[in-house]
Amino acid sequence: MAKQAPGVRIDGLTVVYKTPAGELPAVRDVTLTLEPGTITGIVGESGSGKSTMALSLLNAVQPPGRIAAGSVEIDGLGDVVGLRGEELRKARGKHIGYVFQAAQNSLNPLKTVGKQLLDLGRSHGVDDLRGLVREAKELLGRMGLDGARVLDSHQHELSGGMRQRVGIMLALVLNAHLVVLDEPTTALDMITQANILKIVREVHAERGLTTLVITHDIGVVAEVADRLAVMYGGRLVEQGPTRHVLGAPRHPYTRGLIRAIPRLVGDIAEAQALPGRPPTLATVPKEGCVFRERCPLRMDVCDTVDPEAHADGARAVACHAVTVKEHA
Amino acid sequence: MSVLLESSSTSAAMRRNFWRGVWRVMKRKPSRLVGAVLMAGFVFMGAFGPMFYPDQLPRDPGQITRPPSWEHWLGTDDQGRDVIALVVTGSRYVLLAALVTAVITVVVGTGIGLFSGFKRGRWDTVLMRLTDMKLTIPGLPLLLVLSTVWKFSSAVQMGLVLGLLSWGGVARAVRSQTLSLRERGFIEAARGLGLSTSHIVGKELLPSMAPYIAMNMLIAITGGVYSQVGLFFLGVLPYESNNWGQMLNTAVFRSGALTVPSALGFLLGPLLAILLLTLAIVLVVDAMDEIFNPRLREE
Amino acid sequence: MVVIARRLAGHLARGVVMILVVATISFFIVRSIPGDPIAAHTQKLIEQGMAPEAAEQATRVLYGFQATGSLWEQYGDYVAGLLTFDLGQSVTHAGAPVTEVLGEAAKWTVLPVLAGTLLSFLVGIILGVYAAVKRSGKLGDVLAVSGSLLHGVPQYVLGLLLSAIFATLIPILPGDGPVDILYEPGFNAGYIGSLAEHAVLPVATYTLAAYGGWVLAMKSSVVTVLGDDFILAAELRGMKRSIVFRYIARNAILPLFTILALSLGLLLGGAVFIERIFNYPGLGLLLIESITMRDYALMGGAFLLITVSIIVANILADLFYSVIDPRVRSGEEVSA
Repeated sequence: MAKQAPGVRIDGLTVVYKTPAGELPAVRDVTLTLEPGTITGIVGESGSGKSTMALSLLNAVQPPGRIAAGSVEIDGLGDVVGLRGEELRKARGKHIGYVFQAAQNSLNPLKTVGKQLLDLGRSHGVDDLRGLVREAKELLGRMGLDGARVLDSHQHELSGGMRQRVGIMLALVLNAHLVVLDEPTTALDMITQANILKIVREVHAERGLTTLVITHDIGVVAEVADRLAVMYGGRLVEQGPTRHVLGAPRHPYTRGLIRAIPRLVGDIAEAQALPGRPPTLATVPKEGCVFRERCPLRMDVCDTVDPEAHADGARAVACHAVTVKEHA
Repeated sequence: MSVLLESSSTSAAMRRNFWRGVWRVMKRKPSRLVGAVLMAGFVFMGAFGPMFYPDQLPRDPGQITRPPSWEHWLGTDDQGRDVIALVVTGSRYVLLAALVTAVITVVVGTGIGLFSGFKRGRWDTVLMRLTDMKLTIPGLPLLLVLSTVWKFSSAVQMGLVLGLLSWGGVARAVRSQTLSLRERGFIEAARGLGLSTSHIVGKELLPSMAPYIAMNMLIAITGGVYSQVGLFFLGVLPYESNNWGQMLNTAVFRSGALTVPSALGFLLGPLLAILLLTLAIVLVVDAMDEIFNPRLREE
Repeated sequence: MVVIARRLAGHLARGVVMILVVATISFFIVRSIPGDPIAAHTQKLIEQGMAPEAAEQATRVLYGFQATGSLWEQYGDYVAGLLTFDLGQSVTHAGAPVTEVLGEAAKWTVLPVLAGTLLSFLVGIILGVYAAVKRSGKLGDVLAVSGSLLHGVPQYVLGLLLSAIFATLIPILPGDGPVDILYEPGFNAGYIGSLAEHAVLPVATYTLAAYGGWVLAMKSSVVTVLGDDFILAAELRGMKRSIVFRYIARNAILPLFTILALSLGLLLGGAVFIERIFNYPGLGLLLIESITMRDYALMGGAFLLITVSIIVANILADLFYSVIDPRVRSGEEVSA
């Protein structure tokens, strides 16, 4: 294969949404690198800005939102934020595959999967449509489906797990090497979830991809991701190798998240829910740390100064309390 | 006591908020204010308009079927009467009948729709089949056929018949609203709290549907005006008092307004009245939609 | 296909019931007309010197049911007549069978109504898409308000205005009758040209009366589809704009077919006014004339045929819908 897994460098990315109360940031000053050939997981509650982040990778933030600052450099494409029109359209699908949440209907209900596959091929100037269909069948077969039958089906004839595999097929069939999966397992039953995650892992390795998984489920990340980034209130609060972050979380929010997971063994009461509620676009504090309202380690400085991300080897944390402790 | 005071003050605040919302919606699109003013004008015209004119409108034998002039802004009819005076005096019959139509349409339609959506099951099936049938039979031809049997002599009688023939749409809409409230667990929750059926319907369901019903009532008024003016226009009904439909009929079929331009003013009078009334109601319904529909308000 | 066949069977059964209901209504209305015109007619024939049996027979032929016997016997007779398409005779058409008179009139109603429906559908859909895309702009507002206004205004107001403007004030189009009597009926340029010229105003009225509804329906349908996930998905897969547009259009038009029947019914009902205004010899004009001239058999027939047309339109629209929507085709219940 000619193409290599691309690296992605997100730098200072800020996305704002236009509201009656002015432009409010959904993603603020996020810097993150996706190393070629890795799986990165972004975890956050709903409203943390993780989906907006994912859309930014395709420069596809929907109005009334817009990318206000920052850049998204993708190897072989350049800065996606600067792409417009046809250039941008061709990059989508061909270089970057996007897989929708399974519960969302990402297929045209009136057309068979096969016809939509052909539409996709024609959109990207694929000459060998037969080859495309063959490739699609192979991918579907690889994921345990009867390719010919699926291509001849309408969306309503497929189950959630099947739709999700079709989504993955459509994201990969044009040979994209950067894949974004937005909540790939939400609304699927446990067994199907496990299946899909296994497929993601295997396909990632076989095809040599760079993969970004967006989820609210920390278990999903633990399962597949090499690196983990935690988002809260539009900010990236902690990132690092998955095992390190999960094993020794530093940011109080990450700690709270992990403590909230019920264990199979032991007392269910040990699982503690995080107190308070995640902020919405309108309630995110304008200055200071976004997490302070729910933070057990809150200090005076948190009210006024937004903590910067402090790198420590492969890890980075944005928290005053953590930085103070390290320096003390 | 303090609790009572508190609740009354919050409801007063809510009312204040409501009027502020109304004002904002009106200000955002001033055309809606025009609609409200026009509507007030029609109400005034129907209620008090005829008082400004003598019972027998003055006839001017030298001015028969004239085009618009300074003296008669919309011209005169075939008996030398002023067209504007005719429109104003004729409005009472038309608007009264339309009001009766609308009230009956809404009361019957809401009743059947609520009952059907609330009870579901066999009653629902039967009532909705009935409603479907009613909606399939074309209203106006049915009215025409009925006119051979019934003579709609008074405005109230006319409104009654029209109302009894036009509740189908409202029944359908109210039923689907009831069902959607039920789907949201509304009714089950109220049941779970041990509330009686009459309480659920009267205090919970109806108020949440009230704006919707009010909009339907306004639309039913226009429907009532159209049907009766249409019936009189076609000339299948005998008439006693003058009204817009009868004016149209005389203008077109007796004064030849569609062949002689001089009778155009005579034709235009009632047409303008109908157009303005429609415009008023479309604008007011549009405003109400935005006031009561939070989904639209946010945009 | 089994699903469609089952749907069709259900429709037909309901249609037959509806026709029976309407026939019953028109029968009982005719029977309850003050002065009992049927008995009066028999009486008149007897007074004119006809033998009682012959007079009864003549009345039976005229109205499609016998004049004697109980109401229920008469009703049974009438329904039996319906089954053999015997609706009686028209007094005002020299005793011609009602079905024949209706058949002659039907074409003058059906063709303009169909033309108006198609035209308004096309224009309304295009403007509706436009209104949806530009919904926050001034023009979108204008389209939406004018749409609801035209949708609201009764058809006779539109007809009268069009006639007043284009046939009286600036007389460029004929507004009286279906064709000039100068021309020999047949396949010649003069006759067909005259037919077309005379059809302009009625068809324009039908179009204007229905197009507002289409604009509104299409606008809200497009807005709904634009918010659907699969449109964003198609864009994120880098589909061409033209293909995305086709996805939007097809999905947005689909629900409109459920309104098609409603619109046809509205226009067929409104034919009464438009044919009266433009003196067009269709079913509507026939209905009014039969009422004013007390031709009761014809009145019942015209009313029945207008309703039957609406029922047929309903069935056709639903069948069409189920053919083009794969979800209905495979028997899944679509909640829309």
